[in-house]
Amino acid sequence: MLLLLPLVASVVAAARHLIGFRGFGLLIPMAIAFTFVATGIGTGVLVFLTILTIATLSRRVLRKLRLHYLPRMALFLWFVSLGILGLIFVSPYLGLGQLTAISIFPIVILILLAEEFIDVQIGKSLREAARLTIETIVIALIGYVIFKLKFLRELALSYPQLVVLMPLILNLFVGRFTGLRLIEYWRFRKILR
Amino acid sequence: MLAKADYILGANARSLDYLKPLNKKKGRRIANSKLLTKKYLIKAGLPTPELLAVFKTAKDIEEFDWLSLPDNFVLKPASGMGGGGVIIIKKKAKWAGEWYLMDDSIITIADLRFWVLDIMAGRYSLHNLPDWAMVEERIKIAEVFRKYAYQGTPDIRVIVFNKIPVMAMLRLPTAQSKGRANLHQGAIGVGIDIATGITTHGICQGRSLKYIPGTKRKVNGLKLPHWNKILTLAVMAQEAVPSLGFVGVDIVFDKKHGPAILELNSQPGLEIQNANNSPLKRRLERVTGLVVKDVEQGVRIAKTLFAERFADRVMAEEGVKIVNAWETIKIRTADKEKAEVRAKIDTGAWRTSIDRGLARELGLLRSDNVLWSKLYKSGLGEERREVIGLTFYLAGRKIETIASVAERAHLRAPVIIGRKDLSGFLVKPNR
Repeated sequence: MLLLLPLVASVVAAARHLIGFRGFGLLIPMAIAFTFVATGIGTGVLVFLTILTIATLSRRVLRKLRLHYLPRMALFLWFVSLGILGLIFVSPYLGLGQLTAISIFPIVILILLAEEFIDVQIGKSLREAARLTIETIVIALIGYVIFKLKFLRELALSYPQLVVLMPLILNLFVGRFTGLRLIEYWRFRKILR
Repeated sequence: MLAKADYILGANARSLDYLKPLNKKKGRRIANSKLLTKKYLIKAGLPTPELLAVFKTAKDIEEFDWLSLPDNFVLKPASGMGGGGVIIIKKKAKWAGEWYLMDDSIITIADLRFWVLDIMAGRYSLHNLPDWAMVEERIKIAEVFRKYAYQGTPDIRVIVFNKIPVMAMLRLPTAQSKGRANLHQGAIGVGIDIATGITTHGICQGRSLKYIPGTKRKVNGLKLPHWNKILTLAVMAQEAVPSLGFVGVDIVFDKKHGPAILELNSQPGLEIQNANNSPLKRRLERVTGLVVKDVEQGVRIAKTLFAERFADRVMAEEGVKIVNAWETIKIRTADKEKAEVRAKIDTGAWRTSIDRGLARELGLLRSDNVLWSKLYKSGLGEERREVIGLTFYLAGRKIETIASVAERAHLRAPVIIGRKDLSGFLVKPNR
């Protein structure tokens, strides 16, 4: 798992520079991928989307109150934590029994990341924020697959040098790539025509 | 417009080839702080919106007399991004200490104080670092834009590289962008022909746009006033901050005071290419390495090189014109007279070329008409060739272009016309 971590980071980097998926930076997609591994995919996405919804809604509410920045952020975490607690309480009735069974730690990571989401959202339209979120989930899912892939896990165990070298080569290439990103071919299609 | 992917500036190339090597840390710091930008621009004698107040500490807020402010102003963070945290005050309300915002809602001194505290706590700055707040005069919208913009003030983004304004775009606030002139927020971007300052083509949220939403007003065909001044200001702004080699200059237009520089952007957006329907990297590469002596020359090079070719439209209106291999053309001289010259239509050449003696005779070698000169190595050794601005009439059509100057005295034609200037013509080869 430790060996695969840089690989996932490289994939996030490649997703940005070759494909054009921006997502929420490097840390957030990786942490989400990691929590997906811990919680399972369905629950992970559910928890992530719940946090995001509560975060966005509570931001709207809190904007109306006149509060200093840090107290506002603290209250905001209060909303998110209570929301997740609520979700855990109702999960058995929704047939999501496994939510109570999983460790609280990955969920705490997700909650703490909520502040970052909001920071990223500030100054962007709803559409832009939604796009970023979807891209983040897609990247996290790719990361999840890498973490989970049996072949890669075995590779990391039997030929660790390969898995160690791969990120080095990949990042040296991606880091110097000056061509158009995949998404930019679409973005500038009218000029390309 | 046919373009290869290599001609388009993508985010990767922008950052590795242009931003990293050209925009020094110092320059980025200046661009990131609107206060610092202002300081440098004022030092260079350039017009900026007047600064009315700065809040650096909590004490500044307590001591500030809000009632001393004029009827309308703008409150903004010194290091805000994407137009975040900006409050625009339209006019005084009925009671002292109350103002109307652009959407006619009321804001009080208490609200403003709180807003300033928010800004200082870093709510709108990068990574929430503590910030300063500033109050500026409000730019009053110029009459030409009144029917085009929603609430806010439109601005003109000019990308300057190597002292040459390579591309420009008019940004119009919309209801969706809440009066902000930021494309990410949903403002309209309209490409501008560098040569004439006439708008060409609009986009909004990545889609082409013919009319201002909700109106029958076309986005293209608007001629911006003081276009030359705008380009000149943009280049001068880069000269004022030389540590920014690739910079987006935002210029606003005040009803009374005319153009003023609002801010500099050390990481200008790429959407300007879609607004202009034209790839930016190609333009950048064409002016890389040119030695630009002064501001006027930079503007002149841009105007000649990046002039929009309206040839396609002309062709649609007048149909294709047929020319012979030899034609008599009329060249506009330095004294604005027309001189008749025999010219060869040469589809084997790209650029039009003119004899040095003839160019001198017509006054075209005057320093204000020479765009740049290059050393050519040919079979005859090294030769210095100037590239000049040239206006001529071929088969009744006016063509403004650039031409290289060469020794052609011993050749049959003092002027050859290259492919570059022949769109919309058909050549009859046998005569």
